[in-house]
Amino acid sequence: MSDAGSSRDSGLLDRIAARLLDASVLERLAIAIASTGLALLIGLVIVAAAGYDAIQFLGYVLEGSFGDSSAISRTLKFTTLFILTGVAVAIAFRAGIFNIGVQGQFVVGGFTTVISILWLAPMVPEGTVGGIILLLFGFLAAAVAGGAYAAFPGALKAYTNTNEIITTIMLNFIAIGAVGWLVEGPFRGEGQAAANTERIPEYVSLPQIVYDVPDFSIVGLAVALVVAILISVVLVRTSFGYDIVTSGYQESAAAYAGVDAKRMIVVTMTISGMVAGIAGAIFAIMIQGYYSNPGGIATYGYDAIAVSLLAANNPIGAIPAGLLFGGLDSATSYIGLSSNIPPELIDGIVGLVVLFVAAPELFRMAARRTGLGGDDR
Amino acid sequence: MTDDTRTPAVRLESISKRFGDVVANDDIDLSVEQGTVHALVGENGSGKTTLMSVLYGLYDQDSGTISIDGEQRTFDSPRDAMDAGVGMIHQHFQLVEPMTVMQNIVLGHEPTENGLVNASAARGEVEEICSRYGFEVDQHLDTPVRDLDLGVRQRVEIVKSLYRGADILILDEPTAVLTPQEVNRLLDVMEDLTAAGRSLIFITHKLGEALAVADGITVLRDGEAVGTVNAAETSEQELARMMVDQEILSDRRSRETESGDPVLEVDGLRVRGNRGLEQVRGIDITVRESEILGIAGVQGNGQSELVGALAGGRSPESGTVQFRGEDITGMNRRRRIEAGIAYIPEDRQTQGLVQDYDLVHNALLGNQTISPYASRGFLDWGAVRDHAEGIVRDYDVQPPNPSAKAGSLSGGNQQKFIVGREIEHDPDVMIASHPTRGVDIGSIESIHDRLVALRDEGLAIVVVSSKLDEIQQLSDRIAVMYEGEFIDTVDPTNVTEEELGLLMAGRDPDAEDETAEPSGAQA
Repeated sequence: MSDAGSSRDSGLLDRIAARLLDASVLERLAIAIASTGLALLIGLVIVAAAGYDAIQFLGYVLEGSFGDSSAISRTLKFTTLFILTGVAVAIAFRAGIFNIGVQGQFVVGGFTTVISILWLAPMVPEGTVGGIILLLFGFLAAAVAGGAYAAFPGALKAYTNTNEIITTIMLNFIAIGAVGWLVEGPFRGEGQAAANTERIPEYVSLPQIVYDVPDFSIVGLAVALVVAILISVVLVRTSFGYDIVTSGYQESAAAYAGVDAKRMIVVTMTISGMVAGIAGAIFAIMIQGYYSNPGGIATYGYDAIAVSLLAANNPIGAIPAGLLFGGLDSATSYIGLSSNIPPELIDGIVGLVVLFVAAPELFRMAARRTGLGGDDR
Repeated sequence: MTDDTRTPAVRLESISKRFGDVVANDDIDLSVEQGTVHALVGENGSGKTTLMSVLYGLYDQDSGTISIDGEQRTFDSPRDAMDAGVGMIHQHFQLVEPMTVMQNIVLGHEPTENGLVNASAARGEVEEICSRYGFEVDQHLDTPVRDLDLGVRQRVEIVKSLYRGADILILDEPTAVLTPQEVNRLLDVMEDLTAAGRSLIFITHKLGEALAVADGITVLRDGEAVGTVNAAETSEQELARMMVDQEILSDRRSRETESGDPVLEVDGLRVRGNRGLEQVRGIDITVRESEILGIAGVQGNGQSELVGALAGGRSPESGTVQFRGEDITGMNRRRRIEAGIAYIPEDRQTQGLVQDYDLVHNALLGNQTISPYASRGFLDWGAVRDHAEGIVRDYDVQPPNPSAKAGSLSGGNQQKFIVGREIEHDPDVMIASHPTRGVDIGSIESIHDRLVALRDEGLAIVVVSSKLDEIQQLSDRIAVMYEGEFIDTVDPTNVTEEELGLLMAGRDPDAEDETAEPSGAQA
């Protein structure tokens, strides 16, 4: 009887859902920008209410994200990871699959990169050529590992009808726990004080072209941009992408058009995991140079859900969305170091941005899934 | 109905209900006498469930009145309806599977004492209901619902409604999920309930069941009540004829070509439906070049499953399907599309179109691996747009705007778009399931003209329809499907509507007269 009762009570919800489903791309962009502004504004009020100078705080945010070249390179470092993980989430969402396991795939991919580079390093010559070979090998290993780690819950969903949200979340914990144990024990580098793996050789690194900082390379950002564009082209311009997106919109129509729904779930999850794995490789090579206990690694894979929602699950949209999140993250670490304002306030503002910007997108997806706002969509 | 001075248990007067520009119920009257079973029959989409949802408070009617036991009522929610003694057993059971039968029955109506559930009081009441009606539910009271057969679950639903004080029970296609034994059991239960003074409304499209158990029968078609008859004074044949559309169209299309080589050969096909019951029970048929095979029958006799096995997407239990001599039984839908098997699906809303896509994106549906729209995996959106514009122009799709979302089109225009897309496929075989459903008369004519033209070009065509005139007008041969089998194959020039009606009701007119062509008659 439950759905009997709610269908009558949901008139208002139904209208809101219908309105959200009808919003055009431009309207959605406007909603995103306005929500970001509003979230920042409310954030400033909270900062002021907490007894800090709101204007000074705004200054710190801008300075810390785009103020000088070190701020910009830090912002772009985070942006790179947010774009890739955001794209990973977006691919799955477009196919109607909720891959919440990007963090786990990111960890598995990054760890595999380090391990495979360390394994292959003695067998190739040192220097630039060897470095390039090891880099490519590391990226490949990350894509394979991340893809396989996502294919597993995909297959569970496709063939045993297991809810992918639950399995991917559980696999995140498993990945973090298992990799954590591996870096504590079997793969702990010699002479490492902390629970870290051996460092990968110095010559295995992404080249510094623009900014001379140890943990950002423009090449990493370029990889992220290329992946975002590539995935976008696949989704929009290929038969395969049409199959994915059609499955996400209306599975029964996709089946009518000859799409094998089960296979599509596994393939989509695999691609999503491959992109997450590549994000993990960039994190391992560009930022760390070794692998540490993933319990202490930032939750890019979870934040990516917000990035993807902010981008309306559009891979190209993940670029500006990633930049926004990268900037806010960068400002957080700057404020933590150079002022007495608690950086948690920034986290709060990021939370508000997510709430304001991503929530309408989340409601759109929920409305489509539940048939609110009219069944004929 | 007999001349009865008692107030009817339910009286619906002039009920109308529209969804957008679709009229689901048009000025329907319905009257259910106390202590009787009243059957509501009609095809899918004829408005049965909508009418009952109005009675049950799920929908507001646009106009008309509801009276229960002679008292006019308005129901804003199912709870109001339940308070007035109206209960509904939905087609899909509303039970919480991990919870026990007892918990399900009292859910939402738990007898409480100082804020705590008084389990023993509830149990006594439920056991009393069970024993009064002879439900064999008692021994399952502490069993989780997920461990029970569908037939038992259904009785749990009935007990639940009775526990809530329902005097009037609506049963929405209750037999659809049941095995024949369970159906008989249910019909017995229904008789016991009416004997105890309850009134039942029995929604079904199985005519035999309606005749077996009902006192009065109301037939709905396209949202209108076609008539109410006394079950004792009617026949399956009369009901079948009332249920199917009989718009008068122009004459049968003349035939200019002879049928050629076999294109589709079906042998011993058995297919299970969505609920696991066998819906196609051993079908053999051959469709030739330049031939339209019409499949007639009351909906739900296995046509959908047969079509699914021909078009791909539904794999048969046993039997084979051959296409130009090649066994395609295990071939997936995509390869069948590429091989030239076009398919106008039964359900345009969920299958034939992506509602959220515009017409350009929908023009690609099913064509996404086919030249000129795709080459080496890449799409040519220019070609797709031209294609969409062509369909919109040639098939008179309104509004003539390829950027319109499919979901914004009326049903008839959606159908024209799908028909256009599938015909422009340049197929060898066309499987058309209800190709003109919901389409206006003028467009029906033009769709028929195109199907005939395709036939004359040499295509093998299968048309499934429940419209007798459509089947008679288009077909070169008519196979009548009843309970998963072809009861007979007849020559349309040599069969009357009465004979078709009898066949659709599962009877062989040959037994009574010899006018119909024997099976296998073909040009």
